Amino acid sequence: MISFLDSIAGKIQEFVLVPLMYQLGLMQWEELGFGWALFAVYGAVQVAITFAVCVPLEKWRPVENWPDNKAVWVDVIYTCISRVGILPLITFVLFWQVQTALNGWLTDNGYVPPTLERLFPSLLGQPVITFILYAIILDLAEYWRHRLSHRYRWWWALHSLHHAQRQMTFWSDDRNHLLDDIIAFFWFGLVALLIGVSPMQFPLLVLVLRFLESLSHANVRLSFGWLGERLLISPRFHRLHHGVDAAGRRSCNYGAVLPWWDMIFRTADFSPRYFPTGDPTGGELMATGTYWQQQRVGFGRFIGALLPGGAGNAHR
Amino acid sequence: MMPRPLAALLLAVTPALGTAQFAHATGLAYVMNSGAASISVIDMGKRTEIRRIPVLREPHHVVASPDGKEILVGDSAGNELFAIDPMKGTLNRRIPVANPYHLGFSPNNKFLVVNGLARNQVDVYDAVRMQLLKRFPLKSMPSHLVYTPDSKRVFITLQGTDQLAAIDLDKLELLWVKPVGKAPAGVIWNNGRLLVANMGGDDMAVVNPTDGSVEKRLKIGRGTHQVFSSPDGKVVYVNSRLDGAVTALDAKTLSVIRTYKVPGGPDCLEVAPDGKIWITRRWAEKVAVLDPVTGTYETVDVGRSPHGIFLAPNAIP
Repeated sequence: MISFLDSIAGKIQEFVLVPLMYQLGLMQWEELGFGWALFAVYGAVQVAITFAVCVPLEKWRPVENWPDNKAVWVDVIYTCISRVGILPLITFVLFWQVQTALNGWLTDNGYVPPTLERLFPSLLGQPVITFILYAIILDLAEYWRHRLSHRYRWWWALHSLHHAQRQMTFWSDDRNHLLDDIIAFFWFGLVALLIGVSPMQFPLLVLVLRFLESLSHANVRLSFGWLGERLLISPRFHRLHHGVDAAGRRSCNYGAVLPWWDMIFRTADFSPRYFPTGDPTGGELMATGTYWQQQRVGFGRFIGALLPGGAGNAHR
Repeated sequence: MMPRPLAALLLAVTPALGTAQFAHATGLAYVMNSGAASISVIDMGKRTEIRRIPVLREPHHVVASPDGKEILVGDSAGNELFAIDPMKGTLNRRIPVANPYHLGFSPNNKFLVVNGLARNQVDVYDAVRMQLLKRFPLKSMPSHLVYTPDSKRVFITLQGTDQLAAIDLDKLELLWVKPVGKAPAGVIWNNGRLLVANMGGDDMAVVNPTDGSVEKRLKIGRGTHQVFSSPDGKVVYVNSRLDGAVTALDAKTLSVIRTYKVPGGPDCLEVAPDGKIWITRRWAEKVAVLDPVTGTYETVDVGRSPHGIFLAPNAIP
């Protein structure tokens, strides 16, 4: 399967991206182009697999039934932009510049990012175990990024866009403000830089992790059982985080894939309840507006939160 | 009918281009899978991958140690050199080095220069003690390097700023940085001149090594990327990324002998003792083994984004 997907990415690189980069005078980024092609191909497969699994699940035991699901369509756009679209391309190039500067600065100050395989040489040749260890570290980083995005008023102004959806489905995972996405890319990039890991080295495992993140947003009454709930984040566990009473500072269940961090830092709620989702303070456009309306309102709230004395939004 | 001078030239360079006088060359070929964090070990005789050596992140280029007993593989994102015994295909040791992308020992074996493409830096090491002598911050994207035969200077292409840099290795000083063409990548020394492949264009620049001035531009193909000398120095091979081609030039006259179609992003190449040319194809996950006489090639499956290649014809698979 990897070989087949890689060959599609190779064709995209050879017949679309490289000729385009050549015409635009961007050939110095040619290697990044292939990275993006791989990202886009695997992203498309992620979306297809998630769709194939989650649609039947949501039809089987939906938490909520809606008279129409117009509000879901904007989340489909978010998903396409985030996983197979332009956003990864921009962040690849943007991040390269910052990474280069930061890398050089770190090296000049005597810091060469260590790899786990240098600290533990027996890990060399054990890519799956190594990746799982890295995935655990990155999941911890994601827990704190997410928790802090609820903590600070300006950050919540951006992140509340993710919570505004009252018709939460598996498509909602990528529903984020552009600025919030960029912060997340830099956050992950920084952590990945410090611990030295390249996710595209393990495309299938990344695919599984992203699938679990999408599944956790699905509109389905699904719990993994007492033990399973404590090993991986289920749709029931994550729905509590999106509940109307959990929006803002006083939330719970911040984890992305592993519930361990919520358990360790005492933010876990395993109660077997299914609440309606949304952010009552967000306004109608944040919930049901078009992509650009949501981006514009989110940005306005962000500026409002930064201004001295500006309410920006109700941050509970 | 082929023009007589061209026919004569083709005959003259035939030993370099290879004849079918031998069966397949035997030995081991090592291919750096830059997107798969591994090195493919290939049985050259059987043309099959026999195993993979795991590395950390992104192995790009490879160079033989001065004594020939090891090959050093630069894992650029892993910040390490992997020293491998080319006869056995076993890992001898791991050496921490910052962002080793392209690297090379000076002809007198005194220096090891390492280009850190992702860090805009060029490191000059004492090759014997593996001690960093000096770091040159060079913007941007230091890509490939070559030395003068007397080891007094090293030249580095700066892919991000369309330039070529020269460093004096005796004084450890930057001599000059000059524009040479769009997104320069490969660079070699050829008959007292530097040949620089400009990936952002379709040309190879002939550069004066004294002052960096461009004396001539040869049109090769879109995305001219890498340039190599044949083992006997009679032929120069130039790869074109976009056109998917390998162009053979007469090293003396720099006239085109023949162009071979090799699609899939041709990158590094090595010439085997039987004259076959082993070429990595970055986006096809394959190595092409080109017969320069017939112009046809066989393929060997390897890992993702194969980049550097090293042939060890004396190794026993």
